[in-house]
Amino acid sequence: MSLTIGKIATLAKVSTDTLRYYERERLIEPAAKSEGGYRLYERDALRRIRFIKQAQQCGFTLTEIRALLTLRSSDAACCRDVRRLALEKKLQLEAKIKTMKVMSKALHHLIAACSADSRSLDDCPILAALERVNGVKRTNR
Amino acid sequence: MRIELFYTTGCQKCAHARAELKSAAEEIPGAVWRELDALDHLDYAIELGVTTLPAIVIDRKMIFSSLPTPRQLRDALKKRVKKSV
Repeated sequence: MSLTIGKIATLAKVSTDTLRYYERERLIEPAAKSEGGYRLYERDALRRIRFIKQAQQCGFTLTEIRALLTLRSSDAACCRDVRRLALEKKLQLEAKIKTMKVMSKALHHLIAACSADSRSLDDCPILAALERVNGVKRTNR
Repeated sequence: MRIELFYTTGCQKCAHARAELKSAAEEIPGAVWRELDALDHLDYAIELGVTTLPAIVIDRKMIFSSLPTPRQLRDALKKRVKKSV
């Protein structure tokens, strides 16, 4: 049974724009087009869309998801190939978290330096700290 | 000089190349070769900037984000030895 783009979008809980975007990114492809030119999908496409959504939630980019989908359908690949990609993604996410923690700590110090009173913007310690280049305050404003 | 290979369990690519790379590294006097499972040493791998596997870190610097040939590794190590002299 073929499904229209609207029907499959509803079942997968995504928008039709998302499905068109996935198609442009070569992640899914309609099985056929109706006489009127409407996209028609097989039921298996639903599984594929859910896979894409789940992988996105784990932080995979669409390019990486394409690689995962290729692996999934490759006879030569096996579970450890997928595991390697998952581990690489975890490393990238953990590195990002580390960077964000540093950023959050920097903001914490800036917030702590501000007494939140009604002094003028010229005296704002947060703006002043952000204006410092390599710790030296710029004078040519 | 400390050479660290980060790998993932079951990576055939690593398993085949490891022995060859290890011998290439150990040709350099003073070279210490270590092999680390990235999952077991996750924090250390992140600290060194490892985001793809396998990867080779030399003296805490990410040098190869994919496996080099033994020759490429040897050349990189020789270059570092020369630099340090």
